[in-house]
Amino acid sequence: MSTTVIRDQPGRTGTTGARPGAVGFLTDTTLCIGCKACEVACKQWNQLPMDEFGFTGYSYDNTGDLSATTWRHVAFIERISDSEGRRPTTMRAFQSNWLMMSDVCKHCVNAGCMEACPTGAIIRTEFDTVVVQQDVCNGCGYCVPACPFGVIALDLGDGRARVGDHKAHKCTLCYDRLRDGLEPACAKACPTDSIQFGLVEDLMDRAKQRVADLRAQGVEEAHIYGDRAVGGTGGIEGLNAFFILTAPPEVYNLPAQPELPQRKTIPASVSTALAAVAFAVGAILSLRRK
Amino acid sequence: MAYERRWETRRRGGRSAGDEARESYYGVPVIHRAPWRWEIPTYFFLGGIAGASYVIAGIAHVFGGDEERPVVRAGRYLSLAALIPSPILLILDLGRPERFHHMLRVFKVRSPMSVGTWGLVVFGAFSTLSALIQAAEDGLFGRGTLVARLLLRLPSRAIAFLGQFPAFFVSGYTGVLLAATAVPLWTRNYLLMGPLFLASALSNALAAITLILTVAGRTSHRSLRRLERFETVVMGVEALLLAALRLNSGKTIARPMHEGRLGRIYRVGVLGTGLGLPLLVQAPGAWLGRRLPRGVTVLAALLTLIGGALFRYLIVTAGHRSADDPQATFELTRARENGSRRS
Repeated sequence: MSTTVIRDQPGRTGTTGARPGAVGFLTDTTLCIGCKACEVACKQWNQLPMDEFGFTGYSYDNTGDLSATTWRHVAFIERISDSEGRRPTTMRAFQSNWLMMSDVCKHCVNAGCMEACPTGAIIRTEFDTVVVQQDVCNGCGYCVPACPFGVIALDLGDGRARVGDHKAHKCTLCYDRLRDGLEPACAKACPTDSIQFGLVEDLMDRAKQRVADLRAQGVEEAHIYGDRAVGGTGGIEGLNAFFILTAPPEVYNLPAQPELPQRKTIPASVSTALAAVAFAVGAILSLRRK
Repeated sequence: MAYERRWETRRRGGRSAGDEARESYYGVPVIHRAPWRWEIPTYFFLGGIAGASYVIAGIAHVFGGDEERPVVRAGRYLSLAALIPSPILLILDLGRPERFHHMLRVFKVRSPMSVGTWGLVVFGAFSTLSALIQAAEDGLFGRGTLVARLLLRLPSRAIAFLGQFPAFFVSGYTGVLLAATAVPLWTRNYLLMGPLFLASALSNALAAITLILTVAGRTSHRSLRRLERFETVVMGVEALLLAALRLNSGKTIARPMHEGRLGRIYRVGVLGTGLGLPLLVQAPGAWLGRRLPRGVTVLAALLTLIGGALFRYLIVTAGHRSADDPQATFELTRARENGSRRS
């Protein structure tokens, strides 16, 4: 993955398919100090049970991953060596040799989980966020492999997830707080404004400015993850919760060029239908009256 | 999602956290695997047989002569018998089984699971009706009773013909359902999954019908040979599609299919027992007219069915493994070096 090169596409960087009035997050990883206040605030506000107490060995990350009961997850990447295996000898002014990122549901402009949902439990709200209606979800689990980012999960009551209601859960972008005119709990709690909440169009302008500033300071790798050029690709058309990264997306466990899974539905159906016709002809030839 | 699992995964092969951290985020999966258990591959197997045996029965009914009546009869009954457990399995697999009817509150064309639910409902009506007509023809509702007369008056050929559409749908849509996910093994092979599931469903249904007819011993040798001929063709196509799947997946994404226990299941169970042996045994009988002892035919059919069940288990489980492998997801979603990206 060290070979992955992020290059801007002229006219595509910083553009998003987000609908007018959509709200979202800008998570600027260059400002993250890894305090996990967002994780705690999310758990407190949404009354999510604690994670199992344990040691992963993944640097300072004992949370591990987003799950049904963990909707913010701070990743810790220690830059021990570069892609050629050399130890870094220079230190960046803003973040030493650490990369920290608070991961969250991306609230995709076209969401794989929502398209997959066979009950209509997953909806797009008036804030253009993607929310699971808990009174409708029947826990079929089809949204789980349909998320290209590994966000949504069923609460199966095993391991860390203690509630065990067997339904799908993920970040709601604090729908209840938005209804009352408050910003989401994680953004509110973030002490460095690494997590910013607002209109996607405003945030995208801010992100473009920030990337330009970072590049002027010599951070050439700085780029937006979640516009139409990176992350919001393949029919996803942009992420309402997007990021500023300073390394290839794979370093943060993010897919560089994900695709909306349902894009495959029509071609896959056509090939299946063609095969069906071929098999039908074969069956008729084999079984017809002679 | 519990990290204990990842700890074990990481320790396998003696790789340190540092090793994993160089290639991915400590080996943590990029996407979440489907939470499905044994019910889903079992449904894929039974639902495939239900759909495909309706196809065989229907085509034998519409295009075949009187000689094919036993085939029609076996196919109609088998279709319903394999169909009845299907919704039960699907409901059992739900996190909240008591809410199964929430599937029926919407129809979403873009969601293969939603379309599949409705397809299964429609097919259920056809499968039940055709089995009832067969029962009436067999006199199970008595002679001249109201129910029997009603059922016998129905246009059974037209029903068999119309039923072909939902029957083919139920046999193949499961492949499309898996293809429309972010799971590397399934979505990389999106054009192959549906045809492969169709081929497997047909070969399993043909084997099951052959098995029933051979054991019952009430069908002509010629009729059986026709079934076996078609079965060898379908199995040949299935083998080709499997080879294409292997090639198209590439080394990283196909890894779960050739490593460890799943690799053995693939080679010995699916390729050897499920396809190779039955083909070897049946092909001479089917195409050169050599008559096989009944025991051998029964054995070949049983092996095909075992292979079919193992194939469904393999493709689901190998998919889970490929979802757990960050390298597989990265290969699928890698940025192009030249900057020209899929839009």
